[in-house]
Order: sequence, then structure tokens, then C-alpha cells
Amino acid sequence: MEAVKSTELRKTFGDIIAVDSLNLHVSPGTIFGLLGPNGAGKSTTIRLLSTLLYPDSGTASVHYFDILEDPVAVRRITGVLPEEGNHTHYDSLSAYENLEYFAKLYDVSKDKIHTRIEELLNFMNLWDRKDDKAGELSTGNRQRLALCRALLHEPKVLLLDEPTSALDPIAAKRVRELILNLSKTYGQTFFINSHNLAEVQRICDQIAIINEGKILISGSTSELRATLQTEQEYRIRIIGDVDYAISIIEAEEFVESVEAEVDTIVAMIKNPIENNSILMKKLLDAGVQIVEFAEEETTLEDLYLQVVTGGDV
Amino acid sequence: MVLEKSMVVAKTDLKMALDVRYVKYSMVVAGGFGPVMAILMVVSSLLLGIPELLSIMVLYASSLIGLFAIMPASLIAANALVGEKEQRTLEPLLCTPLSDKELLMGKVLSSLIPSMVMIIVGTFATMIAANITLLFLNEPFMIIPDISGLVLIFGAGPPMVLAVIAVMILISGKVTRVYEAYQASGSVIILFLIPMFLPLASMQNEMLNPEAVWFSVLLTVLLGVSLMVITWLIAFTRFNRNNMVQLV
Repeated sequence: MEAVKSTELRKTFGDIIAVDSLNLHVSPGTIFGLLGPNGAGKSTTIRLLSTLLYPDSGTASVHYFDILEDPVAVRRITGVLPEEGNHTHYDSLSAYENLEYFAKLYDVSKDKIHTRIEELLNFMNLWDRKDDKAGELSTGNRQRLALCRALLHEPKVLLLDEPTSALDPIAAKRVRELILNLSKTYGQTFFINSHNLAEVQRICDQIAIINEGKILISGSTSELRATLQTEQEYRIRIIGDVDYAISIIEAEEFVESVEAEVDTIVAMIKNPIENNSILMKKLLDAGVQIVEFAEEETTLEDLYLQVVTGGDV
Repeated sequence: MVLEKSMVVAKTDLKMALDVRYVKYSMVVAGGFGPVMAILMVVSSLLLGIPELLSIMVLYASSLIGLFAIMPASLIAANALVGEKEQRTLEPLLCTPLSDKELLMGKVLSSLIPSMVMIIVGTFATMIAANITLLFLNEPFMIIPDISGLVLIFGAGPPMVLAVIAVMILISGKVTRVYEAYQASGSVIILFLIPMFLPLASMQNEMLNPEAVWFSVLLTVLLGVSLMVITWLIAFTRFNRNNMVQLV
């Protein structure tokens, strides 16, 4: 069973194709990150999955419940943090009243409502502000309140659109920890739209990159790296004659470029999985004393830019 | 179950509407209007020695009681429908398991209940105030508002309130601000002014023609019911998730 599944999902707004032939498979308990530039179709995808929008064609399901055939069941098991969630509160109601209202609408049992709200507000460090009107809370606190609302009914799947935007670093870290904790402890599935690549790299098990409504690539960070990375930068620190070492490295066909930085050589190697050991052996055979032979870490940002812009930024 | 969820929506909408100063004050003014008007018309017509004035003022008072009951409905409905759009709260609301039927009923009840309370309480308060004043003036008891006035208030009031709510549903897709919705709802309120003017045209020797009064009252009731039916027939086709999402 998949927590979230979509098949050839398509949504247009007039001439604009927001989501095109979207095929997603997200396993239960997964923290799934959907990355893409502005207008790529990320928020539309969340709106389709949360039954807020009807697709033009294709289908999707959340824990077996089809978004078209059983939308109420889908809404019952999903928690949604909308785009700019900090702007989606009833300003004249207090933080507590906002949550109480939604708890009733989500059918949280009456005897659990207070406990659940207290638990969430405490976790988000908002309990002391529970009686403040939502309109008087800071942007960050409003975002935390929106997260509390999404978590109120302990949904199986959480659809979060930019969950840590507008949060300070400490609050953002707490939210990331919360996501990891909930996923690990209760097996909740998270579907996260984010621009924060470092955050996605840190917490997401699976990633998909979307652009112009189409999924360009998906998989774990390491799978993306393996698929996309045809060359890798290495830092080789040696003792002895750097020029001699460079001459050995340059002689290899699979070396794209070589630069010297004092006692360190920076080399770009094609097909690194096959060729890095060959290069190391050549250097050792030539009597070069290697102190360090390290791979420069490729960040998700590098991969993202490569996919979305072809590396042409 | 449908009603339970709808009542949750209605109570919250009403609470939020009452937090708005001019909604709260308009309800106080509208509620207090009937009794104050009753006392003034009884005192002025009897003390001035023009008893005919009382029958004319009773007609006006009935129309105004009905009119004042519609005003809070239009304010609350504007907040409940267009306010969701203005505050961007419609998206999280539509993400809950609330069905379209429950949401619609909640929005209707939030405006209908206080308006009905105002119509009933306002009318009886007017009757009581008028008769206490008559008692002080050693005059016999009277039904104020009179029978035609009661038909107007209870026959045209509720359909007009429902029509205002339907108008709000219809215009919620067109306007972005609550105050724009207030203005649009004014068109329905104008219908309640009809009984004020028609009988005046048929006045003879400073006396109201009872037939003209009844004609104007029944015409207003008929217009109110027709407007309610027409606006709701259109509103039912518009009030669905697909249309509401476009407001998000």
C-alpha cells in the first residue's frame, strides 16, 4: 500500500498546465520532499491531494482513499498546512479557539480536545500565548499555530507546504525534529513542499524535483546523486612535489580538470565510482605520498540546479 | 450529525461577527428600535391628540422592525462568507471533513438564528413597550404591530433574511472585501421599503386605506418569498466545492 499515489494526474488553469502527468508513489512513513521553482506545480499538487482541487484527468489516492471517489475520507486522514499557512487563521479568535474550532470539525473526541491542544501548543512553545488573538501573534507563531492545526487530528498523512518558512532557526529545527519524530514513532507520512534544499536533504527519505508540472527526477538523495552525477570533484592532499603529482593526474583521460591549491590538488573526475580508485593507485605507484583523497560533497542544491537549470545558473 | 457540525460553524461565525464592533452595535440598535419606536409613536400620537397618526406609524414601525432584522443578517452573512475569503481561512476549512451541506447549513444558521431571534424578540418587546405606555396613559390595550404588521414581519422577514444570505453566497465569488458585500446586500433591504410608500398613495382624509395596507404587505411578502426562491435556486448551483476553491 502506498500512502500517496498519483497516476497521470493533470490540472490546468486555462492555458496554464499546473500539473502534468504526475506519477507519485510515496510509501507509508516516508518523509517525501517535493522540490521545484516557483510556479512548478508544487502547491497545486498538494491542493489536488488534499481534495481542494479536482484534477482534469488522472487519479490519486491517499491510503487507498481515492481523492475523487472518497474525498471526505481523504480529508479525514490528512493534515494540511497550506501555502503561507501563517495567514490562514481566524484573526479575531484566540490561538486556542482557532484550534478548538478545527478540532471539532476534524471530529476529535470532546474529552480529548483540550489535552490535544495543550500538548501541541506546549510543543510549539505557544501555550503561554493560547489566549492571544491569532491576529496578534507574530508571523512565526502564526506558522506554528498552522502546524498545530495540521497535526490536531493525528492524521496519517501530512501535506505541508513550506512548513518552516517564516520560522526562526530554532523553531524550524524543532519542526524538523517533530517531523522526524512523528515519522519514526507513529509512521506518519509527510509530503513536504519546500524551497529549503538543505532542510529537505536533512530530513527527507525521498525527493522529487518538479518543474513546469512534470516530475523531472525522483529518489533518495544518494539515488539522485548516482543518477545525475557523471563527474565528481576530489581534493587530493599530498606530501612532496605537487607539479609531479599533477602531471600524473593530467595524463589520465577521465580527469576533466586539475588545479593546485598549495599542497592540495583539486581534480574533477568523470565516472568517479570506477575511476577514483584507478587514480589513487596510479599516484601511489608513482611514489606520491597521499595524505588525503576526499570527495567534495555534492549538495542537493547542486543536484537541484543541475536538474532544473541544467547547471546553467 | 450534519446539524452538529453546522452548529459548530454557525456558533464560531456568530462569535466572530459579534467581535466586529459595527455588527454588535447594529444588533443592539436593531433590537432596541422596536420598543423605542413603539413608545414614541404611542406617546406622540395620543398626547398630540392625533390618534390617526398611530395607525400610520404602526405600519412604519412594522416595516422598520422587519428591515432592522435583515441588517444584522446581511452583516453576519458577509463576514461568514466573504470574510472567509478576506482572511484566507477558506482553504483550511475546505480541507476538513466538513461536507458542502454541513458548511452551507452552518453559514445559513449563523445569520438566520440571530435574525429570527431579533424578529421574534423585537416584535414582542415592541408589543410590551407599546402596551405599557398605553397603560400609563390610561388607554386600552392594542396589538402593536397590528395584524397586517405581524404578517409583514413574520411573512416577509424570514424569506428576506434567507434571500440576503443567498445574495451573499452569490456575490462572495465576485467581491473580495466584506464592506463590498455589505453594499450589495442593500438591494434586498430596499424591498422592505415598499409597504411604507404604497399605502400613502391611497390615503384619504389622513386615513390609511386598509385594503392598500394589506395589498402592500402581501406584495412585500410575495416579493420576499420570490426573491428567496430565485436567489436560493441560483445559490444552490453555485455553493459547491469547485466554486469555493476558486475563492481560495
